[in-house]
Amino acid sequence: MPKMSIAEALREAIREEMRRDPRVFCLGEDIGVEGGFGGAFTVTLGLSQEFGHERILDTPISEAAIAGLAIGSAIAGMRPIADVQYGDFLFCMMDQLANQAAKLRYMSGGTLTIPMVMRAPIGATARGAQHAQSLEAFFTHVPGLKVVAPATAYDAKGLLKAAVRDDNPVLIFEHKLLYGSKGARTEKGAVSPIGEVPEEDYIVPIGEGIIRRPGKDVTIVANLLMLYRALGAAETLAQRGIEAEVIDPRTLVPLDKQLILESVQKTGRLVIVEEDNLTNGWGAEVAALMADEAFAWLDAPIKRVAAPDVPPPFAPVLEREYVPSEQRVVDAVCSLF
Amino acid sequence: MAIDILMPPLSQTMDSLVLVEWSKKIGEPVVRGETLFVVETDKAMLEVESPGAGTLRETLAAPGAEVKIGAKIGVIAEPGDEAVGATSAAQISRRDGQPLPPERQHRVFASPRARRLAEAEGIALSSLNASGPQGMIVERDVRAALERQRAQPKITPVARRVAEAAGLDVTALTPSEPGALITREDVEKAIQQQPLAEPVLPSRQQAGSRIALSPVRKTIARRLQASHQTTAPVTLNREVDATELTALRERLLADLQPGDPRPTYTDLLISIVARCLRRHPRFNAHFDGDTIELRDEVNMGLAMDTERGLFVPVIRDAQRKGLLDLARARTQLAQRVADGAITPDEMSDGTFTLTNLGALGVDSFTPIVNPPQVAILGVGRIRPVPAVYQNQVSIRQVMFLSLTFDHRAVDGAPAARLLNDIAQMIEKPHRMWL
Repeated sequence: MPKMSIAEALREAIREEMRRDPRVFCLGEDIGVEGGFGGAFTVTLGLSQEFGHERILDTPISEAAIAGLAIGSAIAGMRPIADVQYGDFLFCMMDQLANQAAKLRYMSGGTLTIPMVMRAPIGATARGAQHAQSLEAFFTHVPGLKVVAPATAYDAKGLLKAAVRDDNPVLIFEHKLLYGSKGARTEKGAVSPIGEVPEEDYIVPIGEGIIRRPGKDVTIVANLLMLYRALGAAETLAQRGIEAEVIDPRTLVPLDKQLILESVQKTGRLVIVEEDNLTNGWGAEVAALMADEAFAWLDAPIKRVAAPDVPPPFAPVLEREYVPSEQRVVDAVCSLF
Repeated sequence: MAIDILMPPLSQTMDSLVLVEWSKKIGEPVVRGETLFVVETDKAMLEVESPGAGTLRETLAAPGAEVKIGAKIGVIAEPGDEAVGATSAAQISRRDGQPLPPERQHRVFASPRARRLAEAEGIALSSLNASGPQGMIVERDVRAALERQRAQPKITPVARRVAEAAGLDVTALTPSEPGALITREDVEKAIQQQPLAEPVLPSRQQAGSRIALSPVRKTIARRLQASHQTTAPVTLNREVDATELTALRERLLADLQPGDPRPTYTDLLISIVARCLRRHPRFNAHFDGDTIELRDEVNMGLAMDTERGLFVPVIRDAQRKGLLDLARARTQLAQRVADGAITPDEMSDGTFTLTNLGALGVDSFTPIVNPPQVAILGVGRIRPVPAVYQNQVSIRQVMFLSLTFDHRAVDGAPAARLLNDIAQMIEKPHRMWL
């Protein structure tokens, strides 16, 4: 089975879906220009050579136009995969996403569907406050949008293919430090989870989380880059005799509540790790859900490890403080014992 | 009945003692006589035995806290207490020994999981230890109580004795059938089934090892560092001809009555030094940096080496005691040190210290002053050497004396005069009576 980075796995998913279904096309800034990177992080690199510039569509620098074109074409029966260079720019298309894409199916009584995918790179990577946010939580709050966050190459391919085939607008959040992008787009401090990715067609169902490491003493829920921090922390904790169960939710909307619930019922302790700012992050929702439904099984308060409520700093030293570290996860877990 | 743990009156000079550490954790079983906690007096670290058997239920003083003598510092729950549920919520304390904030004291704080389990098992939450975060009763506390309830099959007294003699863990034994008493036969069977201990091979990765300091070692470290940092030590060395002294001792030993203690060179030297000190009162004194307190009596500290470290018990009024009394007192103190029965009072208020490394083959060394004392005499081995005696080379029994004094309190010349006096008396012991 070939091994791929997440960027390669996403490219593979796009390629397979575009071959499978002529309605599928990509749009975004600099995703297919000759001599370009293939989007900001190489995901669409080389695809214009196979599919041409009509299906790998380079757009003007206007996020509102990208969103409008994606939604409009989806209404018209196409299956667009839109690329936003940095997730932070999603705010430019907020009306299109929150008022149009999320609500048209509901408002039309199901007459319209919006089968669009919006791919958004996120995460603090020494690019300053406007190119560094982790934005998943904003979109989990809008009914009608699905929110996906793959942390492995296998999931990246399977979830993107599932998203393309979904009749609802799906936002895929991809972490810049997990892409495994190469060449000029190599990221400093990247984790690059290279993983086995089947060549054949498969999907990872939207709404299914996965246990990345089984344990009995504490449940750690973490997504994207934080998953790797959590796994590192679990290793340290194991040396101290604490067996942490690490859950990758993979999808935030819909959330695999049952998986987390069963784990918390087993362990009695829950720590949620997210790179977003603490207040009203998606972790707050998981905490509230578990306080509600797993209350009688909890043996300690629920803890969240998140970035402080400040913009992501530009200075690398401050950014290191900002992004939750393995040590913070370890400390949070140890405070529960 | 719960047993209150009180701070014992281990010092006659201090109203309060420092709690160094708890040797047991909350919830741990403890038997009478087992070390329960360690306190520090002005003299030493002391291990304090448990006043009774049961489970350490709560601690009211944290390590490092200074506690008045007689104050309650904890509670031992006796067997059966837990189920009775006599503990009030106010007695639940935090793991770090700090008292709970007031809002925690009037209700039981338990995790939802612990409540659910306790309810299902019919255990009163108020009877439980709280080991969780923020002084909360958590699942493991309920499970520990369940474990205590369920485990502990009864064992006959003889079976317990046999097991303990064989070094078997009594709690790991099982009766021949569930619910039955553990009998001597069960224990003997367990002894037979014990696997032979495998030899412990040193690990390749770990060369060397790390040793946490014992309370005794910590006290030694602290006091010697204090001595080193506060005193201005100077050591005078002098060779002494001890031939006469050895001859005197031979004659003394020959005349001993049955039952008399055998005087050692140390005893002879105590006697000599005590006598000399009366003529050099500045060396039989306490010095606090501002005042020299001259002492009438000579309380002779004796450095003694033990497996647990250095102890310095004190022979009081050494200047009044005859040689046999000194030998008797020294023997008794040595025995009490070896037994670990020595008390802080027996090690307090020394006015001068004698340290003899001669038996270990040392010729000369630099002793370190034991504050607030002013001086200490180190004694080396006695050995035969060719020496000039009465203008002839002959074989003489020679030893070195090393007198360390605190130069802040006294000067070199007076110290040299003291050393000279001691040397004269060793060389001509009949001067003792002049």
